[in-house]
Amino acid sequence: MVGKYLKTTALALALGGWAGMAGAADPSLDLVGPLSDYKIYVAENTGKLVEDVTAFTAAVKAGELDKAKSLFAPTRTSYEKIEPIAELFSDLDSSIDARADDFEKAEQDPEFTGFHRIEYGLWHEGSTDGLGEYADKLLADVQTLNDRINALTFPPEVVVGGAAVLMEEVAATKISGEEDRYSRTDLWDFDANFEGAEKIYTLLRPMVAADAEFTSKVDGNFKAVADVLSKYRTPEGGFVSYEELTDTDRNVLSAKVNTLAEDLATLRGKLGLG
Amino acid sequence: MAGPNRRNILLGLGVGAVSAVSARAETRNVDDAPAGHAETAAKSVPFYGRHQAGIVTPRPAAGIVAAFDVVATSLDDLERMLKALTLRAAFLTQGGKVPTRDPKLPPADSGLLGPVIAPDNLTITLGFGASFFDRDGLSGLMPARLERMAQFPNDALEAEMCHGDISIQFCANLQDTNIHALRDVVKNLSEFLVLRWVIEGTVPPVPPAPDGSTPSARNFLGFRDGSANPDSNDTAAMDRIVWAGADEPDWAADGSYQVVRIIRNFVERWDRTALSEQERIMGRIKHSGAPMDRPDAGERDLPDFAADPAGDKTAMDAHIRLANPRDAASQQNLILRRPFNYSRGAVRNGQLDQGLLFICYQRDLQAGFITVQNRLNGEPLEEYIKPVGGGYFFVPPGVSGPQDYLGARLIAEARRA
Repeated sequence: MVGKYLKTTALALALGGWAGMAGAADPSLDLVGPLSDYKIYVAENTGKLVEDVTAFTAAVKAGELDKAKSLFAPTRTSYEKIEPIAELFSDLDSSIDARADDFEKAEQDPEFTGFHRIEYGLWHEGSTDGLGEYADKLLADVQTLNDRINALTFPPEVVVGGAAVLMEEVAATKISGEEDRYSRTDLWDFDANFEGAEKIYTLLRPMVAADAEFTSKVDGNFKAVADVLSKYRTPEGGFVSYEELTDTDRNVLSAKVNTLAEDLATLRGKLGLG
Repeated sequence: MAGPNRRNILLGLGVGAVSAVSARAETRNVDDAPAGHAETAAKSVPFYGRHQAGIVTPRPAAGIVAAFDVVATSLDDLERMLKALTLRAAFLTQGGKVPTRDPKLPPADSGLLGPVIAPDNLTITLGFGASFFDRDGLSGLMPARLERMAQFPNDALEAEMCHGDISIQFCANLQDTNIHALRDVVKNLSEFLVLRWVIEGTVPPVPPAPDGSTPSARNFLGFRDGSANPDSNDTAAMDRIVWAGADEPDWAADGSYQVVRIIRNFVERWDRTALSEQERIMGRIKHSGAPMDRPDAGERDLPDFAADPAGDKTAMDAHIRLANPRDAASQQNLILRRPFNYSRGAVRNGQLDQGLLFICYQRDLQAGFITVQNRLNGEPLEEYIKPVGGGYFFVPPGVSGPQDYLGARLIAEARRA
């Protein structure tokens, strides 16, 4: 598996045209390693996403309500971890991960598909009835996503900026508990978004390590987030309902997320990417 | 969701490709924008002083109140938070050049006011809510009369518009100046503060009357509001009415209790009410603000309630009569009001969401606002108003100079305890 991704990466780096097109400086050679590592990370996650969505949609189509519900949150995590790349394909991002608020007719809107449409059926309507079509489309969409991402040259500024993008995601729609409103599995998404951001930061950290004040602040905030989230982990490796998140802990997460977003937003500039 | 930027990247379009088709302009550019306000923009209110600015400071045209929860718990973190806020407030209220940064980094400033910030009479006033003192080391130091705002009978409080560990009141000539300051605080204190609610209001600048006096601005019920407000230039009156006294923790001297109430007005219904009824409810002549017993007088002329014991002229339950009965006892209940009008779109039923961002200051929360509001409970005006949010806060004393910071005396006292 890994060999195939490395080949794609090598091709991508050989093409290397993204930064020029977006008007940015060429990424320094130091970025080559982190970018190729990140490409592997994303490819592993999209591979896992296809695998997990296959099982999830099979359960939905087989009418196995409880099984489908139990697979919903863990299946989403590989998508949430790589959102900065996944959302480059806006057509797929919309059909895979849009929320009812994104549509004028909300849940009744025919354009409302994907994870959250199925979530609505499983929890709000308590049934797998009528979800088969959405399940088929979701599986087809994540397969397309996987193909497109494997063929994609990763724009360095998108990867580097992705850490902040993930924090903006959490700040804008996760903190408020809007994301998984029917299942209340939002903490799974929180955790996946943080993991995705921390992955990028960790890969780039050696390049900014000279700024010890910066890295110690960012390290500290990631740790503070992990400490809060760990209080809500279940023994099975998942998370309790978003409703159990206390106001105090939500405030701590909110402050840390916004501070991480402020700090990680400087990563591109620190690395000389415009 | 997709932005055009993302699409351009995917389609391989450079910026130039998109903008290449811009037409060569033949028409002249617009140059008749409203005249600037250079003179008022340059005006500043001193930041350093015994009391915080923004209380007895003359009220400018625009205000914002933002309430935050504070994530910091230790005294050291609270000190860092308060020092950071003090630094921002000292800079923003006095104005100056915005620092420049490497353009590859996000800019240090939102840029809303351009590269040089004009002070524009900005004041930034910090208040502590009761929940702020719910921290190790602070619980014994809460101001004696501070409490969490409780529901009055006519209130319909919306949880997401109430309370907060701290309040920050921004007042300036232009709302943009307040918005810029709010954005600056949110950006620079993200580590400590989580926004709970925010509301903006304005008051129209009122042209001087023929006799040179400045009439009170009108609220969204169309009545002059503030006619009976005490004179904030009267130092002795402010000491009596506004500044917290000796029976408070030492650190709280020179502070004040702040009440914020978001009071929705049912304006459509009010506008369908007979003028005589409106005047009876308020207790004033609408166009002039004159008291009912002296309809040809001015808004500053006082009603004589003692000469009208049955309420023949000014109804016994008229708003101004209940709020300030003008007897000896009610002199203990005076407050300094500093409200703004707010308008924030429509509500679901298709009615306008307008009202009063009521703000007042007093030395004693119970004797001041709470007593006045209890007198007002059940007033006929309640049919037309609905308080939906706000909170009670204590504004700590001012910052004496660059070596001092907001709340320093509180933190020092907590460390000694």
